[in-house]
Amino acid sequence: MFKQRITLILLATALLSGAAISHGQTVVPASKQDELIAVLKSADATRKAKSDACRLLSFIATKKAVPALALLLADEELNHVARYALEPIADSAVDDALRDALGKLKGRPLVGVIGSIGVRGDTQAVKPMAKMLKSSDAMVAQAAARALGNIGDAAAAKALSGALSGSAGDTKLAVCEGLFRCAEGLVAKGQNRQAVVIYDELLKVKAPHQVRAGALRGAILAGEEHGLALMLESLKSKDYILFSAAVQASLELPGAEVTQALCEALGKLPADNQILVLGTLAKRGDPSAMRAIFAAAAKGDKAVRIAAIKAMPPIADSSAVGSLVELMNDSDAEIAKAAQDNLAALPGKKADDAVMAMLQSGETDWQLKALDLIERRRMTNVAGALLKATRDNDESVRTAGIRMLGGLAGAVKFSVLVELLLEAKSPAEIRAAERALSATCTREAKPSAGKVTIRRAVYRGVDGGGSADVTNKVAKMVEGGAFSIEASNANFGDAAPGIVKQLEVEFTANGITQVKTVREGQTVELLVGATPEAFIDELCSAQAKAPRRQKLALLRVLRVAQGPKAFEAVRAATKNADAEISSEAVSVLCGWPSAEALADVLKLTKTATDRKVKILALRGAIRLIPLQEGSVEKKLAGFKEVLPLIQRDEEKRLLLGSLATVPTSEALAMAMSYLDYAATKNEACFAAVAISEKIVGQKPAEVREALQKVMNATDNRDVTRRARATLNKARKAAGR
Amino acid sequence: MSKKKSNLTRRGFLKRAAVLAAAPTIVPATALGLGGSVPPSERIILGGIGIGNRGSHDLRWMLPDKDVQFVATCDPQKSRAEAVKNLIDTRYGNKDCKIYRSTPEFLAERTDIDAVLVTTGDRWHALASIMAMRAGKDVYSEKPSAMTVAEGRAVVETAKRYRRIYQTGTQRLSEGNFTFCNEMLRLGRLGEVHTVRAHIAPWDAAEMRHDWLPAQPLPPKDEVDWDAWLGPCPWRPYNAAYCRGGWRGFYDFHTSCIGEWGAHTFASCQVAIGAEKTAAVEYQYVPNESGDGMVTKFANGIKMILQRTGWRGSCGVKYEGTEGWVAAADGYSQPDVSNPAMLDDFKKLVGDYMARTQRPMSHVRDFLDCVKSRHQAVADPEVMHYSMTTVHVANICMWLKRDLKYDPAKEKFVNDPQADRFLSRAMREPWII
Repeated sequence: MFKQRITLILLATALLSGAAISHGQTVVPASKQDELIAVLKSADATRKAKSDACRLLSFIATKKAVPALALLLADEELNHVARYALEPIADSAVDDALRDALGKLKGRPLVGVIGSIGVRGDTQAVKPMAKMLKSSDAMVAQAAARALGNIGDAAAAKALSGALSGSAGDTKLAVCEGLFRCAEGLVAKGQNRQAVVIYDELLKVKAPHQVRAGALRGAILAGEEHGLALMLESLKSKDYILFSAAVQASLELPGAEVTQALCEALGKLPADNQILVLGTLAKRGDPSAMRAIFAAAAKGDKAVRIAAIKAMPPIADSSAVGSLVELMNDSDAEIAKAAQDNLAALPGKKADDAVMAMLQSGETDWQLKALDLIERRRMTNVAGALLKATRDNDESVRTAGIRMLGGLAGAVKFSVLVELLLEAKSPAEIRAAERALSATCTREAKPSAGKVTIRRAVYRGVDGGGSADVTNKVAKMVEGGAFSIEASNANFGDAAPGIVKQLEVEFTANGITQVKTVREGQTVELLVGATPEAFIDELCSAQAKAPRRQKLALLRVLRVAQGPKAFEAVRAATKNADAEISSEAVSVLCGWPSAEALADVLKLTKTATDRKVKILALRGAIRLIPLQEGSVEKKLAGFKEVLPLIQRDEEKRLLLGSLATVPTSEALAMAMSYLDYAATKNEACFAAVAISEKIVGQKPAEVREALQKVMNATDNRDVTRRARATLNKARKAAGR
Repeated sequence: MSKKKSNLTRRGFLKRAAVLAAAPTIVPATALGLGGSVPPSERIILGGIGIGNRGSHDLRWMLPDKDVQFVATCDPQKSRAEAVKNLIDTRYGNKDCKIYRSTPEFLAERTDIDAVLVTTGDRWHALASIMAMRAGKDVYSEKPSAMTVAEGRAVVETAKRYRRIYQTGTQRLSEGNFTFCNEMLRLGRLGEVHTVRAHIAPWDAAEMRHDWLPAQPLPPKDEVDWDAWLGPCPWRPYNAAYCRGGWRGFYDFHTSCIGEWGAHTFASCQVAIGAEKTAAVEYQYVPNESGDGMVTKFANGIKMILQRTGWRGSCGVKYEGTEGWVAAADGYSQPDVSNPAMLDDFKKLVGDYMARTQRPMSHVRDFLDCVKSRHQAVADPEVMHYSMTTVHVANICMWLKRDLKYDPAKEKFVNDPQADRFLSRAMREPWII
């Protein structure tokens, strides 16, 4: 006996405290059933062991396990887990066992058994459970009501119906729930007439709103032709609950007659009710409702009118166009705006035609509304009309026309936009034309591989871990004609197993240096957008004949266009005799996006006499130094060159932000020299950590010294975390 | 209730009350004969069940809406209930927020409440939602909103039965970037869509824990009602870690790394491909711990691949068609697209969606609007149920370590009685649906 007990304990331990209950295994083989049954029978097995055995049995148990499980039903602690295993067993032995337990149990175990009988739908249990509807234990009565509803046969329905009038409170609600379940079961079997009898009974009973509303819905949907009549009747109800239930149920009823009924009711209802109906008409999407919707939109309560206007786009019927256009002229600004907003969303050519008619009306207000709608509707093939608008007498129409031509890809030739700038009559038009030209330059820039040089490529874990220098690999891929490179282990090996990686590539294309970073699984495009040469030629030609204000705008557009020709044009303009033009050209030069401007900008840092220009040049130089071709040493030399000129905290912070591009001991020392000043401390900490992360392998001692100071100085959690991680590497590197 | 009273709106009543008393209180909806059907011009009376960290976020999104008044919270953990009361009382400048500890008592007593925010742990989401809907409340439930297929089905049926409004907290169905992606797909701008990718949580595993944390002394019921905390799940001894969120990862309480974000991303993908009223039919087992790379297939032929990495943010989705792809995730300032020109129509597409569906780009506001309009919310019970079904079946696929075929119409596996056993779990008495 003792030996048998020990065996069982060992068995339970092996089965339940090993792989089966830890990560990695939810299910055990069917062959384990006997062993699990033995655990259930064991007097020594713990509650945990028996619970686990039941859980595992729930996936594999057969009729054979039923007796052992049934014995646990009377156990308050194990009743639930026993049912957990019993409920899924597809054998009538389970129903027999549960039914048998009905007469023997009380309280929570009985509630549990009743629940399981309901889940299994055992019709033989109706009779004993019907008696329990009158149980003095409310939990038992309620559980019986719900379970009888699940069984849902005629006997169950009769029992529940009989209990309805004598019940109260939560038990009454449970009886109603049971009856609902019965009715739904009948509908599923096509026995709608019998279902309606139940719903009618629920409608008549004095019950909370959800029961009445649910019963009405059920009666309407199950009632077929009588259901529609009931819905019509309920639309007249003064009881908001029944009214809204009928409206809600109508969404589940197809047919023009339902739409018609809603429309007929609409005008006779209070405002809140009308809003409900209008929303429902919108959801139904039936165009036959449009006339009623127009009437509701035309006059009356403002909230109702807006609800009617909003109902038009979902129905997507072109007849709404006239109404919306008319409402855009409403004296109430909110109504007018709602009409405009919804015309913007109404699909179809008729709406487009209406917008074009507005534009051609010659009335400024309508023209501006039309331009807004053209943009929001993203109407195309409207270039002619927009060009006409740019010649309008009203400045706001002209400006909007220019702005929109710039936003429509390919609507007009670039030269037309240039002409619009040259002919602009007001500052607003000049700004609009400048933006249109800039947007077109950016949009039409063709992705170009040009001459691509890979300067550096690293494939590394996003949060540390291993990394691999893949510069040569990427360069070879580019040599082979690939300009779209996927960051993947397949291309670069797994540098950091188990960690998401990223690919960082620094490259120069068409003289412009860029750094692009993509996550594992994504593709880096080693392309730059190059504005077509013809555009730049047109901008340069226009410079010669442009009035002064337009000249300034053209310089700014050239900066967006970029490229050698554009750069030379700007460079030349710095020498213009007109001080305003030369000043703007210097400003553009200092903000030039690529390193070709660096030499000029560096020169300006020393020669400029105007303080504003000096600052602009200094900031430009700090930004451009890392973008130039050449070694780290060359860039470092650039920073050293400007260092003595830096006076203000703003430029100091800018410098610190760029120092990580030259990861060297000297750059680290440079960053550390700013650590003790409040105005630069944060940026110095960031720079020191970023540099240290890159040189920790080569300069562990210097990194250790620097980062210990950083740790003391910073209160930034991210900096501290990165500094600590790098310090650990430094210690390890030093230990090597 | 007298007819005279039922004709009086709450707003009107409040105006009159303001004349009579310096500090009018909220008038119960039922007192005016309007309970369960909040007219468009009325205020929504809100309650909460199980509001913790996540629930507080939801609550903070709801409270600024002027047509919402939060009046009571229910939680088996006293400290959490008190934290919510403090939040509410501070906001309203009074002491009116009531605390309840028992969900049945709370629902039975507060007939004035129109809608409840259910943000319990996962184990209680479906049960609390069902209990609330039976009591006539509309429900905003956090995700994952059901522990099993059977629970999800019960939520669907209960909402229909009592014509309740229900929204599951998959808020990305009401965000611009995700909506744009869905519209691109719906309008055919991606060509024929063959594959969608759904982000699953990059922590935890598909395999779940079955162990018990060491037993600790049971606190007084007044502090933590442990029996209620466990609800329908199998009993286990108390350990404070569970109550602090340490329930995640346990089979009894959680739906794994797949459910953690799949509840969001599967819903997004399924709505996008028009499969919101069905579930995936085929599931290919992958021999790893998370389900990463599992290929599921819908009846329309579109594949949905579970993907753990390759995203720049969280809860990402990617839709791939013959003419391009789009992707969105939390943290993307704008959707990723295969061609930048696709983004030209961003505002137009999102705006058109809003006009066509009359839905705002705010998940919480969508729910509140629907409480008034009585139209189902964007993440309605069926959207929740079918996307969670795909979650559940993917989990079952990982637990059984084999490929599975599922029939969404029958809500059963195809000739697979062993897998069918996972579709429901017996609920612990008395917490039986």
